[in-house]
Amino acid sequence: MIDEMEPAPKGTDYDLYFGPAHPGSGNFGVKLKVAGEIVVSARADPGYLHRGFEKLMEYRTPIQNAVLSDRLCVLEPLNWNLVHAEAVDELMDIDVPERAKYIRVIMAELSRIQSHIIWYGVFSLGTGFDTGFKMAFGYRDYILDLFELITGGRVYPAGYICPGGVRRDFPNGARDKILKVLDKMGEMIKLEELENPALGARAKGVGILKVKDAIRLGATGPVLRGSGMKTDVRKDEPYEIYDRLDFEVPVRKEGDAYARYWIGIEEMKQSIKIIKQALKELPEGEVIDPSWKKPKLSVKIPKGEVYVRNEVARGEAAVYMVGDGGSKPYRCKIRGPDFLHMIPVLEYLLKGAQIADVPAIYWSLNICPADMDR
Amino acid sequence: MKLRIIPKLFKNLFSKPMTVRFPHESIPIPEGYRGEHAYDMDKCISCGLCAKICPNRAIEMIEAPEDIKDRYPKTYPKIDLGKCCFCGLCEDICPKDSIELTKNFFLSTFDPTNVIKYPTPKVEEQVNG
Amino acid sequence: MDTKETGLLDEIKSKFKVDGRVQREQRIWISTDGSKLMEVCKWLKDGGFTHLSAISATDWLKDGKYELTYHLWSYDDNILVTVKTKIDRKNPSIDSVVPVWEENAQIHERELHELFGVKFKGNPDLSPLFLEDQEDVHPFRKDFNWREHVREKFYNKENEREAVYYD
Repeated sequence: MIDEMEPAPKGTDYDLYFGPAHPGSGNFGVKLKVAGEIVVSARADPGYLHRGFEKLMEYRTPIQNAVLSDRLCVLEPLNWNLVHAEAVDELMDIDVPERAKYIRVIMAELSRIQSHIIWYGVFSLGTGFDTGFKMAFGYRDYILDLFELITGGRVYPAGYICPGGVRRDFPNGARDKILKVLDKMGEMIKLEELENPALGARAKGVGILKVKDAIRLGATGPVLRGSGMKTDVRKDEPYEIYDRLDFEVPVRKEGDAYARYWIGIEEMKQSIKIIKQALKELPEGEVIDPSWKKPKLSVKIPKGEVYVRNEVARGEAAVYMVGDGGSKPYRCKIRGPDFLHMIPVLEYLLKGAQIADVPAIYWSLNICPADMDR
Repeated sequence: MKLRIIPKLFKNLFSKPMTVRFPHESIPIPEGYRGEHAYDMDKCISCGLCAKICPNRAIEMIEAPEDIKDRYPKTYPKIDLGKCCFCGLCEDICPKDSIELTKNFFLSTFDPTNVIKYPTPKVEEQVNG
Repeated sequence: MDTKETGLLDEIKSKFKVDGRVQREQRIWISTDGSKLMEVCKWLKDGGFTHLSAISATDWLKDGKYELTYHLWSYDDNILVTVKTKIDRKNPSIDSVVPVWEENAQIHERELHELFGVKFKGNPDLSPLFLEDQEDVHPFRKDFNWREHVREKFYNKENEREAVYYD
């Protein structure tokens, strides 16, 4: 694979493997051809986490697929639960009760805050600001304790958002605990606004992506918003109850790594605002459609097809599901935002960069190898 | 020199640390946590629904061992904890509530034969006369 | 009732003579055959559909065909249009849409070539993406017997944990 890249100028070139055994790269490798200090070309090496999800989902019924769908991206399981549950709801024409819609939005926004905290922590680690890394993972634990109380597991909620509603109701006292945790998150965000000079110097002006290139390469989410285009699936195509809530979409024009990092922090503030509004308006009632209360061994999926889009923390996620009258989906295609961010966008941005800038560019794209390989 | 960091410094100096000293102290585990399975053989009716709903095929229905076969003639579930993902679907679907998930999560072991749980009846307590 | 979606669908039907329907608001589904695919795609891209969301393939074993679907989104009108075609299953090959949507389409076609075996004429790079040392094995087809493949290729010990199969 490395022989197919362009040759570097003679005498100064060598190959560098920024690979899966590197402490700063996750489950993913990039092969770089370097001449002196400048990267001549880069080639992505995916496939370390390929589990064959699309084929696994063809052998399981919808409730079993709901349990499987939280391993699609390890860092934000509840958002991917929501995409899959919405696809099955639309294909089988299920009525979701109102209380369940509000609970789904609250859990999805909590998961978005938790994912952006990891982004902030790891980006600080990559650029040399170690205190930020430790504070981020300390504050993330408050949200994981909330997940343990409501769903029964700290990281994997085992299909909490399932077709038909949610699996369990909030226990007593959950509402006050959520408000206390949101106050702590507000306190953490103020801490970040103490500008750290090391982070600013390493991230400003690095990895610039213009709007036309971003749309041509398929970027979505914070990467596209950092280049100047104001678009968000929650506003363009509202799902669940997002059309009744009031929030803003942060945009920056520069397109460098610092702009994308700033958008992550602003999105956390908007998520806190959304959760407070949803908690105030939470109605009483059931949390699941009565025929889906006990897990069903065999259902009848009608013939048809559906394409559902959502906004997860990293960009635009989509599920294309085809039913043919049996009890298992005939085809379930999953589109993740990282499939485009990690292969075309990364190879384009790393060309011509210096070696010392590679971690800042790499972590500013907020990548998760699990939903690239599926 | 930035002086606005000094009040924050004093506040952090006199507040509690974020961590606890495990295993001497630990934070309380809430109700509804999904840990190890607790199985009651007397309530089980051998319908086999738990084996059919498990997404990872971690449950298999086997016959009881020889010495208790007269009291328990049908097939009973054997759970492989290495394949289980602790989702709780077997607990939700059981019509007689004979599988329950407890709060125990200390399941790591050096011995691979400990990973499989065979169905055993509850031991009766002996009262010392 | 005249909405934006029905207006767009009527314009496409009159210009290219294809079938289509409006599923709900913001969703249009169009079926065409392989010869008109490039014209429809070029016309849609010039009309504002600059974002290619996904390319997918469905394996209809009984009919003996693959159905390819192209999902396109427009940032100006907020409408999603899906274009579907059917190609033969024994020798699947079709023209690539890389001249229209460039690198975005190239990576999706590379994944489909590896997993289903579809040949895209005009794609600059169709090397394997996820799997290593497994050329000419297209795992996502419906007639691929994955149990036999795993048993031959990857060593299977006689242990009791491997013996549980229910379907």
